Amino acid sequence: MMDALSNLSMGFAVAATWQNIGFALIGCMLGTLIGVLPGIGPIPTIAMLLPLTFGLDPLSSLIMLAGIYYGAQYGGSTSSILVNMPGEASSVVTCMDGHQMARQGRAGAALAVAALGSFFAGCVGTLFIAAFGPALADVSQRFNSPEYFSLMALGLLMAVVLAQGSVIKAIGMVLVGLLFGLVGTDANTGTARYTLGISELWDGIDFLPMVIGVFGIVEIIRNLEQPELHRTSVSTRFKDLWPSRKDFAQSWKPALRGTGLGAILGILPGGGAVLASFASYTLEKKIARDPSRFGKGAIEGVAGPESANNAAAQTSFIPLLTLGLPSNPIMALMMGAMIIQGIQPGSAVMTTRPDLFWGMVASMWIGNMMLVIINLPMIGLWVKLLTVPYRLLYPAILLFCVIGIYGVNSNWVLMAMTVVFALFGYIMSRFGCEAAPMILGFLLGPMMEENLRRSLVLSRGDPMVFVTRPISAFLLFLCVLLVLVIILPTVRKSREEAFQGGD
Amino acid sequence: MLRVKSPQNLGAGFAFGALGLAGLVLGRDLPFGSAARMGTGFFPLILSGLILAIGIWLALSSLVVSGERIERMQWRPVTFVSLAILAFGFVMTFAGLAVSAAALTLIAALARRETRWGETSILAIVLGLFSVALFIYGLGQAMPAWWGD
Repeated sequence: MMDALSNLSMGFAVAATWQNIGFALIGCMLGTLIGVLPGIGPIPTIAMLLPLTFGLDPLSSLIMLAGIYYGAQYGGSTSSILVNMPGEASSVVTCMDGHQMARQGRAGAALAVAALGSFFAGCVGTLFIAAFGPALADVSQRFNSPEYFSLMALGLLMAVVLAQGSVIKAIGMVLVGLLFGLVGTDANTGTARYTLGISELWDGIDFLPMVIGVFGIVEIIRNLEQPELHRTSVSTRFKDLWPSRKDFAQSWKPALRGTGLGAILGILPGGGAVLASFASYTLEKKIARDPSRFGKGAIEGVAGPESANNAAAQTSFIPLLTLGLPSNPIMALMMGAMIIQGIQPGSAVMTTRPDLFWGMVASMWIGNMMLVIINLPMIGLWVKLLTVPYRLLYPAILLFCVIGIYGVNSNWVLMAMTVVFALFGYIMSRFGCEAAPMILGFLLGPMMEENLRRSLVLSRGDPMVFVTRPISAFLLFLCVLLVLVIILPTVRKSREEAFQGGD
Repeated sequence: MLRVKSPQNLGAGFAFGALGLAGLVLGRDLPFGSAARMGTGFFPLILSGLILAIGIWLALSSLVVSGERIERMQWRPVTFVSLAILAFGFVMTFAGLAVSAAALTLIAALARRETRWGETSILAIVLGLFSVALFIYGLGQAMPAWWGD
C-alpha cells in the first residue's frame, strides 16, 4: 500500500504541472461541450476530439484525453437529466430517475449528486488502479505468447457477451475487425496484404477515419433521420445546485455501493460503464424499502448508477494498462491514442515509463476534480447549449470531425476512407451489427496474429500448446465456459432481460 | 416455400458473407504456410473463412428464426453528409480552410429536408471564420487558411 502511495505521489508530481492541468481543463470542457449535445454519447465524442490531442507530448495528450473522457461522460449525464435524451446506453439508467427529478424541480440536486458521486467513485477507482495495477502487471510478466493469445480470445469473447445485441453478429464484427487490423504491410515479411493498390493502406487502415466514420459520422446520420424534436430543457442555475441534507442522507450509501460494484465490474473485459450502471440500478431497486419510488425521481437511482459508471470507467483502465487489453470500445479508443503516441499499452509501460503510467493514473483524478470544479459552475452555459437546434449543430460537429482527420494527415484519400467506413457502419447498423466490437478486433488483430505465430513456432506447429500450458488452458477453459453460458437458454433469456431498458 | 423470417439477419448474413468471400478472394495469393511456419495468408484466410461461415449461418437461420425488420434506409442524410465530407477534402486541395468549411456547411445543410438558406449561409460564413480562428490561429494546425495561401 505504501508503495502505491509513493508511486501515486510521483504520478502527481509529473501530472500536476500548470501546463498539464491546463490540458486537463481544456479536455474536460471540450468533452462536456460535445458530450452534452443530446444524442451524442461518450464514444463519438472521444472519437471526434481525439485528433486534438495528437500534437502534444504523450503524457499531456493522455491527460487531455482523460479530461475529454470524463467530460464526455458527465456531459452525457447532464443531457440525460435535463432533456431525457441519453447519448448512450449507460445514461439510459440516469434518465429514468434523473429526468423525473428534473421535472419535479430538483434538476440541480440530481446534477450535483451525479457529479459528487462520480468524483467520489473516481477517487476510489484511482486508488484501486494504484493498488491492483502493479499486481496484475506482475502476473502478466509470466505470460508468454500462448497465454497472450488465449487472453485476447477471452477478452474479445467477454466483450462480446457482455455487450448488447446479438452475440453471433458481435463475434462476426470482431472477426471483421481482426481482419481489417491485418490490412497493410506484414511486419514479418514485408508483404502487402489487402492494400487494393492504394498506397495509403500500406501502413494499415488509419485509425482516425475508421473510428470517426463508424462512430462520429454514423451518429450524425442517425440523428438526422429522426425528425427534429422540440427539446424542452429544464432550466437550472448554479445556485439551485446544492442538494439538501435529505438528498445527501439518501444518496451516500447508494453512491458507496455503486462505487464498489462499478470498481469490480469495470475490471472485467467487456465490463465498463454500461454494465455497472445497470447493475447498480437493479441493486438499489432491489434493496430499497419502497421500490415503487424508482422511476419517479428516486435520488438513489441517480447516485448509485452514476457512481458505478464512473468507478467502472476508471477501473476499466486496469486491463488496458497492465495487459494491453482494451475491455470496451472507449478503452479501444484510448489504446488507439496511445499507439499513435508511440506507446504500446501493457505491463511494459509500468516498468519502462513509470512516469507515464503513474502520471496518467494521477491525471484521471485531476480530470475528475476538474469535472466538479469546472462543470458545476458552468451548468447554465451547458443548459443553453442544449437548446441550440440540431440543424445548426450538426454542420459544426461534422466540420469538427473532418478537420480533425485532415489536420493529422492532409490527404483527401482519408476523407474517402472516412466516407467508406461511415457507409459501412451505417449499413451494418441497419442489420443490427454494432461497430464497437469491430474496433476492439481492429486493435488486437496484429497482436493476435503475432502471438499465434510465436506460439506455434514455439510448439513446432502443435496447436495443443494452448491447452498444455496451465495459464493458457485456464483462460481457454473460461472461453469454453462462456460459450456454453451463451448457448444455455436460461442465461440467454436473463441477459436479454437485463438489457431491455437499454434499447 | 422459403420465407425470410428475419430480414436483419439475412442482411447481416449477406454482408458477412461478402466480406468473408472478399477476404478469401483478395488474399488467395498470400502463402498459407503451415502451422509451424505461418505464412502471411494463414491468419487472414482463417479469419475470412470464419466470417464467411458466420455469414452463411446468419443467412440460413434468418429463414428459420424470426427477427427484426430492417429499418428503411434514408438516403438523403447519407448522401449529403458523405458528399459534404468528400467536398471538404476536394476543396481543401486548392481553396483553404475557410472556403472548405463553408462548402461543407452548405452541402451538409441539404441533408435535412427543409433547408433554410438564409440561416445556412450565415452559419457557413461563421463556421468558416471560426474554424480558421480556432484550428489555424488557435491550435496552430498546419493547413492553408485562405484561398491562395
